[in-house]
Amino acid sequence: MQSPLRLERRLTQPKWLNWGVPLLSLLGALILGGIVLFATGKNPISVYARIVERGFASTDAFSRTLISATPFAFTGLAASVAFRMGLINIGGEGQLYLGTIGAAFAGIAFQDQPTAVIIATMIIFGMLFGGAWAAIVGILKAKFSTNEIITSLMLNYVAAIFLDYLIFNSSSYWRDPKSYGFPTGKRLTKNAYWNDISIGSIEIPFGFVVAVVAAVIVWFLYNRTRFGYEVGVIASSPNAARYAGIRARWKIITVMALSGALAGLGGASDVGDFRHVLDAKGVQISGYGYTGIVVAALARLNPLSAIFVAVFLGGLSNAGYALQGPDFPSGLVGTLQGLILFTAVAGEILTRYRIKRQNTIADGVIV
Amino acid sequence: MISDNIDSKLTVTMNGIVKRFPGVVANDGVNFEARAGEVHALLGENGAGKSTLSNVLTGLYRPDEGTVSLNDEVVHFDSPRIALERGIGMVHQHFRLVNSFTVAENIILGEQSSSLFMDTASAVERISALATQYGIAVDPSARIWQLSVGEQQRVEILKALYHGAKVLILDEPTAVLTPQEADALFTVLRSMVAEGRTVIFISHKLDEVMAVADRVTVLRAGKTVSTIECATTSTRELARLMVGRDVVFDRVIRANHAKPDNIVLQVSNIDATDDRGRQALKSISLTIGESEIVAIAGVAGNGQRELAEVISGMRPATRGTIAVNNEVVPNSRVRKAMTAGISHVPEDRLHTGLVADHSIEDNLILKSYRGAPISKMSVLRRRIIRAQAKETIEKYDVKTPDTITPIRLLSGGNVQKVLLAREFDSLPSVMVVSSPTRGLDVGAIENVRKRLVDAADSGVGVLLISEDLEEIFALADRILVMYEGSIVGNIPAAEANRESIGLLMGGGSLSAENN
Amino acid sequence: MKKFIKIATVVTAAALIFAACGSDSDSATDTTMAEATDTTMAEATSEAFTFTNFTPFEGGTVVNCAPADGGPIKAAWVYVGPINDGGWTQTHDAGRNYVQEQLGDKVITTYKENVPEGPQVEIVIDDLVKDGNTIIFGTSFGFQDAFIASAEKYPNVCFEFATGYTQKNNVSQFYGASEDTKYLSGIAAGAEAPEGAEIGVVAPFAIPEVIRGINGFVLGVQKVNPTATVKVVWTNTWFDPAIERKAAESLISAGVKAIASFQDSPATGEAAKVKGIGWVGYDSDQSVAFKDIWLTASTYDWGPYELAKIQAVIDGTWISGDYYGNLSDNFISIANYGSKVTQETKDLIASERERLTQAPSAEFTGPITAQDGTVKIAEGALPTYGELMSMDYQIKGITTDLPQK
Repeated sequence: MQSPLRLERRLTQPKWLNWGVPLLSLLGALILGGIVLFATGKNPISVYARIVERGFASTDAFSRTLISATPFAFTGLAASVAFRMGLINIGGEGQLYLGTIGAAFAGIAFQDQPTAVIIATMIIFGMLFGGAWAAIVGILKAKFSTNEIITSLMLNYVAAIFLDYLIFNSSSYWRDPKSYGFPTGKRLTKNAYWNDISIGSIEIPFGFVVAVVAAVIVWFLYNRTRFGYEVGVIASSPNAARYAGIRARWKIITVMALSGALAGLGGASDVGDFRHVLDAKGVQISGYGYTGIVVAALARLNPLSAIFVAVFLGGLSNAGYALQGPDFPSGLVGTLQGLILFTAVAGEILTRYRIKRQNTIADGVIV
Repeated sequence: MISDNIDSKLTVTMNGIVKRFPGVVANDGVNFEARAGEVHALLGENGAGKSTLSNVLTGLYRPDEGTVSLNDEVVHFDSPRIALERGIGMVHQHFRLVNSFTVAENIILGEQSSSLFMDTASAVERISALATQYGIAVDPSARIWQLSVGEQQRVEILKALYHGAKVLILDEPTAVLTPQEADALFTVLRSMVAEGRTVIFISHKLDEVMAVADRVTVLRAGKTVSTIECATTSTRELARLMVGRDVVFDRVIRANHAKPDNIVLQVSNIDATDDRGRQALKSISLTIGESEIVAIAGVAGNGQRELAEVISGMRPATRGTIAVNNEVVPNSRVRKAMTAGISHVPEDRLHTGLVADHSIEDNLILKSYRGAPISKMSVLRRRIIRAQAKETIEKYDVKTPDTITPIRLLSGGNVQKVLLAREFDSLPSVMVVSSPTRGLDVGAIENVRKRLVDAADSGVGVLLISEDLEEIFALADRILVMYEGSIVGNIPAAEANRESIGLLMGGGSLSAENN
Repeated sequence: MKKFIKIATVVTAAALIFAACGSDSDSATDTTMAEATDTTMAEATSEAFTFTNFTPFEGGTVVNCAPADGGPIKAAWVYVGPINDGGWTQTHDAGRNYVQEQLGDKVITTYKENVPEGPQVEIVIDDLVKDGNTIIFGTSFGFQDAFIASAEKYPNVCFEFATGYTQKNNVSQFYGASEDTKYLSGIAAGAEAPEGAEIGVVAPFAIPEVIRGINGFVLGVQKVNPTATVKVVWTNTWFDPAIERKAAESLISAGVKAIASFQDSPATGEAAKVKGIGWVGYDSDQSVAFKDIWLTASTYDWGPYELAKIQAVIDGTWISGDYYGNLSDNFISIANYGSKVTQETKDLIASERERLTQAPSAEFTGPITAQDGTVKIAEGALPTYGELMSMDYQIKGITTDLPQK
């Protein structure tokens, strides 16, 4: 039997939905979460107060949120760039690893240079390594029509093994020969650190500023240039692209490389801003690349929104750790975070579809 | 399942059907009755409510008011599947086929079967038998994406027959058939009603309705205008009932006469393959002169699409050359073809000629975005794009609230206006135009034809690819007929007649008229 | 953030997440904890802080990290894995629970689990300090940089770090001689496998701490089965059940007759269970869940040391230093035996345990020969602490090479 309710695609999206739905989603999440909290004997108000306090409310909480948000911003941008052309790049994770390798190389090799030069070369090498890694996927798709989901995912594993190899199983350029006991990478010298930028008492990781700049550039590229226009046509209608003489092959390679370069930039920031070393294990545990897919989806592939979503998820993640403890199992934290994501996704569906009570679909010619 | 004898005959009665959509009343108290053993035509312009009414009948829509009865029993169908179980099948205008499946798989799709796997082998046999019985040629093992639009429609017809519909609704089924094939289909339909089936035949083509239907119900603006016996009416009366005024399509009067000797397009010895890698074009040669409208008649799937694509650079020619104004255009280079002055209005307007999800203004620059004044240093100049789009909308009378409305929200006529506007404004020497009026209503058809004639009058050579002979006879200076990848006839319009063209389209020869 | 990913992909399966987190954790370490209680309490109240096997860092000074208001001590643990991982993190959390039980309302303990190595660690520590925690335990080697950075940031907070090496006035290092108990577990494996058979080891990283343990294990094997050989597969991870299981399966399919894992999850046991092969686990007692194949395991009891250090905070005597526990203070121990272990083997292990309690590291009494045949520890000699800590060679009897050379 069919349900009396069904989703119908909206022909137009009223303006109020853009702010109304996120607000309603958040309200829905708070109510649902409140029920869960109440059922487990917690006071929802104090829990929510703590999420706000530890995630966003104070300047130092916000500074810490920006730390967590920075890698999400890069991988979110990377995923958005590829998804905008319909390329499902699941490989942000591995491309980020390659970015850490490239940036760590530059950071070690150019350590005697002025800080500005080191940072610039780290950014360039991070992007090159990540971009080249992703370009492999693009070339395979363009030349042999291989499924990019599979190849990009497989390359994540290859990248992880390569990373392990560089630090654990070889005396590579990256490995610190003096590492005591546990194999580690060569630590960057202090002049290679990316220093935070302070605005008032908010500490902004340099990488976050780079991410914002990258987001603006990507937005401009996709909304205001011929390149973005062509990508849009290819994504929406491959036939129309062929009809207009837009070659999809090069675009596939370029867009994948761009996506990988952004993830690689995230890797550079990971080394330059935070770890100051090629941390083979730590970067793998973090799973930034996969989170980027969530960021992109919630941001509706809009690069500027991706920054805000990354900050939101960063704060939510930090607040989650702040909530955890003996009387607050991480499962409950996960449930709350899940509810918020769930309602966000549900809200997103409502902006594009509406619920109809009847068994009808708008398929016939109406206008 | 098909059965040779129809044990139960169905009379369909629809009473006071009202169906509202946001802002539109698609059916406004429609009464309709189709008896067993008749071909009942549902006549009306696009937007008159024919498709909505048939969707109500097949359970796709639930009416807001009114009842549907089968043999006086009031029924409520929750889905087309349930309607089909009760014997009501439909061949839609927009095909519901799975592109990556074979013909046979599509036809048996949805069939209740006791075994886990589809018994394709025996199905192929039965499909072949059906196809032979009704003279519908289709390869059961071909995949849908490999088929032309016309072939796909045949699959839809076969599918409904295969599932044993007692009441068969056909939504403009002849749009892609030759007159001969249409006649063959009419024979099929006649034999079906002779078996006791009911055929509901949706159309806006008057001749066709007169040729096949026993009775006709005319809809206008969502209301029933009249139900009459075909024997007691005329095309002229039906046209008046349908549009509410007298309409006659006559040969359009041209201001400029064609100059076939001032050749703007020369196609020489072109070979090309189709998507399956089979030879689709066999040594095609043709010329179009200044201000000349040359029509290509033929049944869909005989190489017309490939020809249009080769000329416009979308498909490589394996042999031969194309020249515009005596200059050879590089093979398979869309942008070179565009700059050489070739414009192309493809049959698939929404997904090839235009990007359905993109705005009007973005679609208008699809061919001009690469250079000044639309872009500068690779950056699009939005202000200029918008200003030009506003001008174009006004000039071509596109009905839209603004320039950023997505194409998919426009009506068929307005979609075609946007496409033609862009192509005309590129100031081409040659226009390749495929099925430009397919699916449009009378008003829009008149508009499009006028635009094409205006283009020809301004000196453009037009290659009109169409399966609509009425259109070809109304517009063309010269008619070429394509059959199996070759041009099998080249006849000045003044000397051509329906029967001879139809014969050539079906693979026959005109020994007397060959030149 | 790993949680986030799971949620995002399985967002509708919130119920499943609930179920997974609600599953009962093994509390098998309770027995070993009870044994250790008395010694600890006795020493914790003396003037200057002393504790068996604890050496204050040279030049270190007492750090007062008790709360100014005299209220209960707030103590926190930061874990890399989930508290129900059936291994490393679970035993650490057992230590935390032990401290809480012993000190009652004098202490408020908390923990943060699933904390990924990297910038998140410092963020979590910031949060803990903000919440008033004044003694913080770190339990993953990869946390070390963040702990040292935080120790510099918060000089009045005491940090206790397991398995690291960096010395600071407010950072202690604590760990223990698990090679001795791995030696004992090796006896069980050697007895289980037929004469001269191959025995498998699933090991995390080829670092001295782990190599030392494997060598101890192999010496135990050779004690009862001198011709047996040992194959090692390196996983390059402390905790990853999927990778651990694959490594174990590769060894089993290569024909090993007994298998040991020095990983933080019981995944090797899952693989061994399928083929009914005897399994030596690590750092948690799985004798109930895997009773048919279980041999034994080398286990840790973190609670007594941690209790002593928190008591030191209360007493105002906390000082940083190096703790290396052994059998004599019951920091390390051997888990309950499975049904495969014979009485004869149990007796041998008991007597060897007694020997090592008296003389820690005695299993390394020379001659100890490396794979390449060079004698590393001379006949009759015992290794120095330095030699033990930097042991980077595999001994004879291991047939696989170290991953890098």
